[in-house]
Amino acid sequence: MSASGKIMNCEDYREAIAADPSESFEYGAEHAAACESCSAFRTEMLALDDMIAGALAIDVPDLKMPELPPLGEDDGKVVNLPFRRTERLSTPAWLGIAASFALAAVIGLQFIGGGPGTDRLLAEQVLAHLDHEPWALKVTNVAVSEKQLARVVHPEIGTMDRSLGLVSYAQTCIINGMRIPHLVLQGEKGPITLLLMPDEMVSSPVSLTGESVNGVILPVGNGSIAIIGERDEQIQDLEQRVVDSVEWSI
Amino acid sequence: MNSIDADLKRRQRFDRVVSVLHKDLYRYAAWLCRDPGIAEEVVQEALLRAWKSLDALREDGAAKSWLLTIVRRENARYFERKRLETVDIDSLTPGQSAMLAETEDPKLAEMREALYRLEDDYREPLVLQVLMGHSTKEIAELMGIKPGAVLTRLHRARIKLKEEIQKEAAA
Repeated sequence: MSASGKIMNCEDYREAIAADPSESFEYGAEHAAACESCSAFRTEMLALDDMIAGALAIDVPDLKMPELPPLGEDDGKVVNLPFRRTERLSTPAWLGIAASFALAAVIGLQFIGGGPGTDRLLAEQVLAHLDHEPWALKVTNVAVSEKQLARVVHPEIGTMDRSLGLVSYAQTCIINGMRIPHLVLQGEKGPITLLLMPDEMVSSPVSLTGESVNGVILPVGNGSIAIIGERDEQIQDLEQRVVDSVEWSI
Repeated sequence: MNSIDADLKRRQRFDRVVSVLHKDLYRYAAWLCRDPGIAEEVVQEALLRAWKSLDALREDGAAKSWLLTIVRRENARYFERKRLETVDIDSLTPGQSAMLAETEDPKLAEMREALYRLEDDYREPLVLQVLMGHSTKEIAELMGIKPGAVLTRLHRARIKLKEEIQKEAAA
């Protein structure tokens, strides 16, 4: 009998057993005991579940714990930015784009070069993204693993000469709806962000200067690369080397 | 208790809660997004969010559902601007291919491919039930759907997988 008082028929049983092979529902065991065919169906479902469990148990890589920022009075805000502009506010990801507009005012950012509106929008998204992942900007001599770097700068995007310098951060991120490699190099004055954007064209170099950042978005082939360092970082020394080191696949 | 002690205690609690669930979180994320690289990012981001809102977790015993919920939201956030609804199994990224190629057992590989192709709505409750050991009620709460809908999806998921495997065997 089912919970509703009716005898469980084969159709009900099979529907229930396919949803829950552990047979935790009421009167299932009684039905299976009385019905050889349904009992065989349950055995089949249990075998299927063993296969499902095995297939779902994928290998787990050596997972790194993220660096946990200290929580103080500004609970919930990431502030671990030793070389980073301290006047810039940290914002949650979903506020990233909106924040970039306010941000430009806060740090007195200017886009020099006067490219079209799309260049400016791209510049704003780049800055918003930096705000989204401030923990990437730490001073360190620990390089990200080759495996992680290869996973982020994968062959479908292009290749990058590893002699550029110590890459301390590599993640796939989204800019303008496209997945792009977000890398951090260790520069002379602090961390330098590189965003490799194979699908984002800019008409000419877009300089990003502010009270505490010095950066540029360079056109490279059919895409562009953003290079952003601390205010005093001489990124001009790096620009050509970065351009030379990257080759898009497309 | 000074702020250093408080911070230390908080970190110890976080480590305790996360260390036993780290692998589960990764596997759940990997089957949600079907990309190991993205799964790592999603889990990292989710853990940062969990760290910031650890005080919202009243009991450590509820940590699993709490963290899975954060991973689920983080995954949705990651894809909110570019949702990849379908993935052609013949044009996978290296990371995606690696996820499918891990096993040498051909039957397990077939099942993994079938799971990979299964619609998100069917795959997720299956992962939660089979891999995470969640009850129908827990799955319903996590996914924001009714228990009846969970059972329907689980039933359909298994029938689809069974058919896929039988089709492969017959081919």
